[in-house]
Amino acid sequence: MLGFALIWAFLILFVLFPLTRIFYDAFTNEAGQFTAANFHEFFTDRFYLRSFWQSMVLGAAAVVTTSVIGITVAFLIVRYEFPYRQLFSYLTMLPLILPPIVGVLGFVFILGRAGTLNILLQDWFGLVHPVNFMYGMHGVLLVETVHLFPMMTLSILDSLSKVDPSLEEAAQGVGAKGWRRFFTITLPLMTPGYVSGALLVFIWTFADFITPLVLGVQDLLAPQAYLNIMQFVDRRIFRMGIVISALLVVLAIFFVLAAREYVAIKDYSSLAYSRVERRRLSAGKAWLAVGFLSALMLVSAIPQVGVLLAAVGRGWSLTPIPVHYTWEFFEQVSIETPKFIVNSFVFCGLAVLMCLVIGVPMAWIMARTRAPGRGAMDALTTLILAIPGTAVGIAYIRAFNFPLPLIDLPLTGMWVILPLVLAVRRLPYTVRGSYSSLLLVHPSMEEAAANVGAGKLRTFRDITVPLVWKGILVGGLFSFITSLQEASATIFLTLGGWEMIPFGIFTFYIAGSQSQAAALGVILIAVCALSLYVVNRIAGTRVGGLFG
Amino acid sequence: MFRGWKLLLLALAVAGPAAAQEIENELVLITPVAKTLTDPTLADFVKYAKERWNVDVRASALAAGTPVAYGRIVEWKGRPEVDIFWGGESALFDKLAEQKLLQPLNLPKQVMDAIPATIGKPKPIYLKDPKGFWTGTVLEPYGLVYHPRLLQRLGVPEPKDWDDLLNPKLKGNVAQCAPSRSSSSHATYEVILQRDGDDKGWAWLKRLGGNTGMFTARSRDVPSVVAKGEFAAGFAVPSYMAFEDRLAGFDIKFVAPKTAWVTPEPIAILAGARHAKAARAFIEYLLTERGQKVAMERGVFPITPKYRVQGAPGSRAEMAVEFTGGLRSYFDVDVTNIYDDDMAQKRYEQVNERFRKEIESVWADLKRQP
Repeated sequence: MLGFALIWAFLILFVLFPLTRIFYDAFTNEAGQFTAANFHEFFTDRFYLRSFWQSMVLGAAAVVTTSVIGITVAFLIVRYEFPYRQLFSYLTMLPLILPPIVGVLGFVFILGRAGTLNILLQDWFGLVHPVNFMYGMHGVLLVETVHLFPMMTLSILDSLSKVDPSLEEAAQGVGAKGWRRFFTITLPLMTPGYVSGALLVFIWTFADFITPLVLGVQDLLAPQAYLNIMQFVDRRIFRMGIVISALLVVLAIFFVLAAREYVAIKDYSSLAYSRVERRRLSAGKAWLAVGFLSALMLVSAIPQVGVLLAAVGRGWSLTPIPVHYTWEFFEQVSIETPKFIVNSFVFCGLAVLMCLVIGVPMAWIMARTRAPGRGAMDALTTLILAIPGTAVGIAYIRAFNFPLPLIDLPLTGMWVILPLVLAVRRLPYTVRGSYSSLLLVHPSMEEAAANVGAGKLRTFRDITVPLVWKGILVGGLFSFITSLQEASATIFLTLGGWEMIPFGIFTFYIAGSQSQAAALGVILIAVCALSLYVVNRIAGTRVGGLFG
Repeated sequence: MFRGWKLLLLALAVAGPAAAQEIENELVLITPVAKTLTDPTLADFVKYAKERWNVDVRASALAAGTPVAYGRIVEWKGRPEVDIFWGGESALFDKLAEQKLLQPLNLPKQVMDAIPATIGKPKPIYLKDPKGFWTGTVLEPYGLVYHPRLLQRLGVPEPKDWDDLLNPKLKGNVAQCAPSRSSSSHATYEVILQRDGDDKGWAWLKRLGGNTGMFTARSRDVPSVVAKGEFAAGFAVPSYMAFEDRLAGFDIKFVAPKTAWVTPEPIAILAGARHAKAARAFIEYLLTERGQKVAMERGVFPITPKYRVQGAPGSRAEMAVEFTGGLRSYFDVDVTNIYDDDMAQKRYEQVNERFRKEIESVWADLKRQP
């Protein structure tokens, strides 16, 4: 009971309160009076309206592109057998590791106006004006697609392996073949997984401000929120930044409501697992699959290759690859890097710990009890999933910037705010991961323990935890990896001495050294890839299900 | 007689006590000045403090653009997380002083006297605060950058003045940052507006918008994208930022047009700073010959006529001199300044708003115009 109250206290204090604060700010003026003028200004300003519209279009476009690629990849990997299938199932997850800022810079180094491809086109084919692959909405779409298609794959991988093949066989039996069978049987069955994947892709694209900014696209909502918030001198613009953040939250709520039927926790893992038999592809088709996946991996590797070249190249300009090579950038970042790495591991570790302490009991309450307010808990965690990190960061800095009683320090002045915000952001992953693991443990085991006199807590500790720890650990590690790369909420809250690796990349980039930023980016990629490898070793190849 | 001695001793104890006085072992800056200038000065200050007071200072800088730094200081409401604000426009420092968010510098008289009150004609550039809340630290022009090889490819002569950026052959090849995002860009927008007057000035800026291939998120990105060769020329770039790209091995050139605004990079101690003594020691260090020399090697100029940028042949200081067009000190030449900071600050929001309406919102249309 106490635990239940503590969980709610946590959710109210660190989720609801900051979000309310953002709305308070959005509906008041500098003098603190209530006003709707801010929203009026937004909805009568052509530039903001265009940003709004373009954000929606971009999000929708990213859902389409990632769906096409993500579903194809998932189908190939789950349903078919072909050479190097195992290797590809690992490789196709790698694009998820795309360090902030330098990931998109990597694209620019290869595909920019002075990027490798354009220089080759100019040198070999006498092209005069560089082809604009990157600067504009199409460039943003390219980056988001490559980065996010694995998220789509992961989301449906789980549902796909849960779809009972006998249903599809039955469909085939009555004459539904190929696409028809796909649209009438397979697609509806994977809808829950697909919708939450689509929601994640949409929100992520919608909330990403770094990629558009590096590509010179400013007429989108997230970059406008960021740029305006960063404008403190002109208070009116600053206020508009808050208004846009509030709007992002409203939209997130709206989308979650719209997709409610599919993303609610009870719907998503109610189906039992069944063995999927992989069909062997004919030689020709098998090589087609390998060709497609190889081409995909080649495109996905562009940012990593670009970052690596920039990290070791000196004065790289207007040549396909750098002419001079050096370790100096690694040496320059190596002074501060150990601090960044330590901070990253400590903060992300603490965040995961908080996630476990709060999230696992939450999952247990939802899966095993009839406690009132379970629905609200589920709704709240789903909402966190959908709220852009930018908005969370802004909400925190606005809400917790008052001196706390007794210690006389604001929460924003204490480093613990970083693990806290990371924990809140990743809580849904832990809750959902633990929930799906719990569903696989039959309650009768716990009942048996209760029958022989074990209390609730003891049963949980001695029976439930040992049975589900693996799923929970994988969930935790996955949160850890994504936290390592987190740069949206934390950018607003970091103070000197608390820098994690992504913020370090950000400072080097702000200082103007793309090469140093790239060097640190390479280090982040290495750290994440290593963590991902560990996760894969522990989890086998099944990491699906975390996304619901 | 005896009384006089006592007074003198007292005066000495107040004015020249730095040698005897302990300083705190921590120092935090908030600054829009890039890491490439703050890191070497902080690192050398740590050594200096060790030699002078035998104190190991943990010095760090929180990087933040001018508007962010200003905003955070205001939000801290006199309980700052940092000790020093370094860089930006002096008018902002005056605003902070008015809100009682700065404390008097109280630097030794001879240190302050070495810095002239103003430089430049017809409009003066203030190099220190008559009320004593801030002082300039270095001089640095906001000019143009370009990529010589790329210009050659495009058949465009190397630019000398702002107007050269309007060359039709540079269409889509100019990078700049919005004046609402960057203080150097804002100041240079004002230079154009104050040079040409409102009507002609805005027409000029719209033409520049038509030639612009990218609006970067921050002023620091402008030299970066030019150095890489993504764009051929950049508008409103602080000299030392461009010099850093030169030091990183890029083929990038800088020129300060005659009317370029020269900033004194003001510095001040925040009211309520936890390490006020270390802060004061750092500022005093910056103004010594040793501190000025470290800065001069990064592409900025001394704030006092006492020193000039000079070094052994092939040294970094000499590279900087060559990079900035042969100048060794702004006190050697007549500085032309047409930029009026008071006027600029008064209409700060109007200029941002007009930029948004007439350039940013209709950028696609501007680009289409011949």
